[in-house]
Amino acid sequence: MTEALAAPPRPSPAPEQPLLDVRGLKTYFHTLDGVVKAVDGVDFTLPRGGTIGIVGESGSGKSVTAYTLMRLIDIPPGEIAGGQALFEGRDLLTLPMGEMRRIRGNDIAMIFQEPMTSLNPVFTIGDQIAEAVKLHQRVNDREAMNRAIEALRLVGIAAPERRVKQYPHELSGGMRQRAMIAMALSCEPKLLIADEPTTALDVTIQAQILELIKAIQERTGAALILITHDLAVVAEVCQQIVVMYAGRVVESGLVTDVLLRPEHPYTQGLLNSMPSDKKRGERLTAIQGVVPSPFRLPPGCKFAPRCVYAWDRCQEEPELLASGDRLVRCWLQAPGETARRARFEADAAATVEALLNDEPEPGAAAESPPA
Amino acid sequence: MTEPLVPAADGSAAPPESTSESAARPAAEAAPTAAPAGRAGRNGSQPLLQIEHLKTYFPIFGGIFRRKVGSVYAVDDVSLEVKKGETLGLVGESGCGKTTLGRSVLRLTEPTAGRVVFDGIDVASLKGDSLKKIRARMQIVFQDPMSSLNPRMPISDIIGEGLLAQADKANGWAKRDVRDKRVGDSLESVGLRREYSRRYPHEFSGGQRQRIGIARALALQPDFIVCDEPVSALDVSIQSQVLNLLLDLREEFELTYLFIAHNLSVVEYVSDRVGVMYLGKLVELADVQMLYRDARHPYTIALLSAIPDPDPRVRKKRLVLKGDVPSPAAPPSGCHFHTRCWLREQLGNPENCATEDPPLREFAAGHLVACHWAEQVSTRTVATAAAQTPAVVTADLVDEEAELPPVAPLPGPTDALGPDSPQGPTGP
Repeated sequence: MTEALAAPPRPSPAPEQPLLDVRGLKTYFHTLDGVVKAVDGVDFTLPRGGTIGIVGESGSGKSVTAYTLMRLIDIPPGEIAGGQALFEGRDLLTLPMGEMRRIRGNDIAMIFQEPMTSLNPVFTIGDQIAEAVKLHQRVNDREAMNRAIEALRLVGIAAPERRVKQYPHELSGGMRQRAMIAMALSCEPKLLIADEPTTALDVTIQAQILELIKAIQERTGAALILITHDLAVVAEVCQQIVVMYAGRVVESGLVTDVLLRPEHPYTQGLLNSMPSDKKRGERLTAIQGVVPSPFRLPPGCKFAPRCVYAWDRCQEEPELLASGDRLVRCWLQAPGETARRARFEADAAATVEALLNDEPEPGAAAESPPA
Repeated sequence: MTEPLVPAADGSAAPPESTSESAARPAAEAAPTAAPAGRAGRNGSQPLLQIEHLKTYFPIFGGIFRRKVGSVYAVDDVSLEVKKGETLGLVGESGCGKTTLGRSVLRLTEPTAGRVVFDGIDVASLKGDSLKKIRARMQIVFQDPMSSLNPRMPISDIIGEGLLAQADKANGWAKRDVRDKRVGDSLESVGLRREYSRRYPHEFSGGQRQRIGIARALALQPDFIVCDEPVSALDVSIQSQVLNLLLDLREEFELTYLFIAHNLSVVEYVSDRVGVMYLGKLVELADVQMLYRDARHPYTIALLSAIPDPDPRVRKKRLVLKGDVPSPAAPPSGCHFHTRCWLREQLGNPENCATEDPPLREFAAGHLVACHWAEQVSTRTVATAAAQTPAVVTADLVDEEAELPPVAPLPGPTDALGPDSPQGPTGP
């Protein structure tokens, strides 16, 4: 830890070391009504330049995961109750705050959901980006402003030397989100965390921003954690996916594996919930019930009360088990449950079938399990 | 190339007598995944709602005397009809006027001009009792289930308020017990328990609140419901539950929906026909399958291309529009879309796009398009446009730059907190 402090240009670590390795992350909030285990068991590994999408519904803990990695959780009432988050070998969760501040912006930058509330309305866009640059790098004001202009140009804002003098309210929603991205990029981070970056935007603007994030990610080689509730956005942008439910990872793996052959009933349920033209005129197969209150989580598997495949074994909480290249938290994937698994797999194949385009790519045939 | 523009512009978009045309349509485009029999049968029926040249402008006041200095053209000459029993989807980005259109139909927002004919009655000219009577037959479900339910009222009052307003001797709704029975029935029809009527909105989850909003709309047994973004505030799993509910209720009570949403997949799933709006204008209207497979307006094509695809195997090359939607207070001349139009660019910027407002014309049976050059749209032109889309699309439009502050030399030493005026050129 101390060597890293002393030497600002860090020696590049071994190539096989992942950029970020999160293990058993737990974040609790102590409220008057009791303890909310917002994040209770999150594991994932992100290689250098990799892209990972974290999906889940509201309350699943996906945003809290991101805030915990950035150490932006207020303590108290929050508490990082366990786990590790190794960023280039250093545990983000135990770093002193001063050092964490150096990592934020420089190494890890974050794009927030609502660009209007996360930009300061009384400063110009240029001042805000330049402020970030000056905080993290030894540059003078003029140089910082030049960097701000460059960053705005990179995100596709024309005439950036004039835009830097505008205030957030003078920009449109899409433009503000671009300014946020420019700010995040201004210090060339190694990891970009985007928390629902397109949720507040219109479809055509969402397309602009997603294409922008992809292009920038390819150009700068930064790794990306994309937090969203939209599976389709993850399918477009990410290589890996983490599906969260009630503070836990329920399934994770390559996007092409998880979305084309879901192994957790919740993932399948999310795919089922998506309307598509093939489902016109039929009812959608909705997931029953609602996300449980964080104060009254069911014992055992947290998804069991809403799961159509649940049986008595689900009274006990399953571990996150390796299943091929992925991790799944479900008893269906446990050894010996062949009959139940076969039933689920047949349903899951039908789910995926109803969602995908008719003509699969040649070579992508070997994925459907025997129905 | 210059097809004579069918002068079907005004109103004839939906002439009331054209039942022959509408009857022919479902047969013509019978897709393999045809709608179930129950719904197909209704398509040919009479229009329940006709909107003719509807305009809703909002005044902009300015100056020290608060004089009117301009208008926001929220809905600008829209004509369409909704047939009995059908679901007409309305899509477009924020600011395109789709919500204002829905509200103007119910006269929650007064239209500036035009006619709204509901079941043969001109809603726009009604007053007093007759307006109240017709409102009982037209209801609305709002977008945000948080802010559309009064937090100080129990559910029984929230749903019962409409009943009370419509109470007369015949229905007896002035009496609380009669009213409460109706409230309970309404709650049950949306899958909630009768006892919930004593609770307050904060005691419910988002999905349940949206069900309450739907129960309120149903309580008066309307024929027609405007669904204004009913599922956009909900989580995916809850969204599908509410969509299922809306479809079930449509069957059960033979409802007609005007379904407003920005999520194109949701609209595709629920609608029979879909209209696309851009800057206050209806730019395309067609059968849902025709619109999603064979869209002819360059804006619709870009909108469809922007939908993220859940299939991770395809990395489709998108056709991404540049820039933002211009302000509806100062819409571009001619075709409102011409400033962002990829087709116009490909055709070498023809003059008439910037000068002539394209009328909504009949491109094919039941397929209306407002574009001078709709015939030029083909898989080839779309593919070319997608291929030419740069990786980073610029956010600005050329003519927008005029409004930017002038270029001044970079400010000298500013302390990070010194907000220098953005407009005033900081003297060199």
